[in-house]
Amino acid sequence: MSISDMIKMALRNLWKRKLRTFLTILGVVIGTASIVVMVSIGIGMNESFQKQVEQWGSLQVINVYTTGNNDYYYDDSNSINNNNKKEATEITVSTIEEFKKIPHVETATPVINEYMYFIAGKYVADASIQGIDPASMEAMGYKAEQGRVLQEGDNKTLVFGNDVISNFYNPKLSWRMRYNSPAPEVDIFNDKIMVTTDYNYGTKYADKAIKPIKVEVVGTLSSGGSDSYTVFMPIKELEKIKIAQSEYEAKRNGNRNTQKIKKGVYQSAMVKVDNMDNVKEVQENIKNMGFRASSLTDELETMKETTKMLRMMLGAIGAISLIVAAIGITNTMVMAIYERTREIGVMKVIGASLSDIKKLFLTEAAFIGFAGGLAGILLSLGASKIVNVFALRTNSNMLSSIPFWLCGASLIFATFIGIAAGYLPAKRAMKLSALSAIKTE
Amino acid sequence: MAEQVIKIRNVKKIYHMGNEKIPAINNISLDISYGEICCLLGKSGSGKSTLLNLIAGLEKPTKGNIIFNKCHMERMNEDQLAKFRQQYVGFVFQSYNLLSTLTALENVTLPLIFRKVPAAERNKRAMKMLEAVGLSERANHKPSEMSGGQQQRVSIARAFINSPQVVFADEPTGNLDTKTTYEMMDLITSLAQKNRQTLVIVTHDLEISEYADRIIHLSDGKIEKIEQNQNRKRVEERRETQ
Repeated sequence: MSISDMIKMALRNLWKRKLRTFLTILGVVIGTASIVVMVSIGIGMNESFQKQVEQWGSLQVINVYTTGNNDYYYDDSNSINNNNKKEATEITVSTIEEFKKIPHVETATPVINEYMYFIAGKYVADASIQGIDPASMEAMGYKAEQGRVLQEGDNKTLVFGNDVISNFYNPKLSWRMRYNSPAPEVDIFNDKIMVTTDYNYGTKYADKAIKPIKVEVVGTLSSGGSDSYTVFMPIKELEKIKIAQSEYEAKRNGNRNTQKIKKGVYQSAMVKVDNMDNVKEVQENIKNMGFRASSLTDELETMKETTKMLRMMLGAIGAISLIVAAIGITNTMVMAIYERTREIGVMKVIGASLSDIKKLFLTEAAFIGFAGGLAGILLSLGASKIVNVFALRTNSNMLSSIPFWLCGASLIFATFIGIAAGYLPAKRAMKLSALSAIKTE
Repeated sequence: MAEQVIKIRNVKKIYHMGNEKIPAINNISLDISYGEICCLLGKSGSGKSTLLNLIAGLEKPTKGNIIFNKCHMERMNEDQLAKFRQQYVGFVFQSYNLLSTLTALENVTLPLIFRKVPAAERNKRAMKMLEAVGLSERANHKPSEMSGGQQQRVSIARAFINSPQVVFADEPTGNLDTKTTYEMMDLITSLAQKNRQTLVIVTHDLEISEYADRIIHLSDGKIEKIEQNQNRKRVEERRETQ
């Protein structure tokens, strides 16, 4: 029997018992839809995690730290730990070059984290400042909201995190007055902006010996992310400021307990990986080199891990309804065989081979699975649309998402379930003796 | 003597009913030649239907050989039997046994479908066959839309479409009225004769046995007597007497 004849005949047999076929297919529809919806909720959950984590920074960036104590940390208060100095690993320019040679690494930059004061006219704001290789800023996934990010050749330039701008205050006012007065309007692109390490700048305690450095702001980063309270600066300039500061402080303190800042030695770095999937591998590589390494991918993994149980349960609920549907298919097919015993016998007598009979019933069962799967997918696509409309209206980022592979996989799965459910009845039909089948009156 | 298409040698068929053994066929030997119209005549329980089933390969004998064209049917497995039936055998049943989901034309093409004959060719052949049984204008009707006689005509067309060597007819007119019975017998015998096909008819009706060249009387699973029917009813004769 040719395949097209087989399908034609199977469809006709199903069509003859429309209501029963419809009800059986309905079972598969519900089963498939529940699996697709449940899995899609799990996928939506993971995607919303990812979006959430991506707000904190790029998932492709690994943060690297030295394993030692804060020995090299320039801060005075920490330099007391000097004596504990062990074989702390340093990050130097050559280390960065090594990082860049690790497979899948796109770029790497040393990082200096500092806390400084920013002067705009008579106003001051304090914020953490991060020094990075200006050429790598764009590659690290930073996006400017206004202006541009740092780029190669930048020197005394800054990129402001948006939330720093609203932090400007008048240092001459007392704390309470600062709190009660409206935030001053600062045009960071056009105002004269300066950086200083003097945390008393603008007050009567200001240290006149520390000269603020004039800088230019080239861009801002959008609010909301983890970097919106950070100011970025080319690392070379920041290092200069740091060294100048440490020298000044060493002089003031009479060289006592003051840690000299070594040029070109850093405590942390950022490494950009070409693809999220390779982050783990690169991270291991870096750890093997003796550094500490962390990435947002770690966080994402942890979040996914915690909801794994929930997602598995959702999937199981869907699976159970599909199993029930499979039993429905088997039942329908067994009933069909009882009804069609005679027909099967006739077909055998006039020359149908055993495999013809088996295939005919398997085709019918497979079609029930296929049709149910198809309708189930369409149903869940519709349901997902509706859910998303409501989700958008309520501003929830928990969106239901049905990727193409899920549609394909569930269609194949539903068809397979149909065939599996039809196997037993088909075998039974095949074994019916032609003679006894005809004799049935 | 003409060549034999079927040779039956010492065939026994015993049914088990609980602990009791019931011999349905008791040591029968019989030859059937090419082109012969042969009638197995007997009362109910005489074993005539069982013998037909054995020859057609629907059942296996308990003992003995059934040789069809030099093939030992008792040794074939289900798949070989299916192939064998596709190629050499046609069936006409008492209760027509048409598939209710298919039209008359499709029912006739069914044996060809199993033989994987392309649709265009099998439809052409089936239409010819339906014309031969006088039903060409009902080709697209379902069995439920046809009378008993018409359904049996379709079933006859189905039996002959493969040009089988042997056509088996099991009480082909059991469900039909007298007039239709004659029409049906005329049709079957004339079709068989036209292509020199062997026809094996099973019946309890003496009048139907008149159509055969040879009448084999069966009783209690044995051959009672074999009667050569010299003046069997010819189609032409019947037409004249009407």
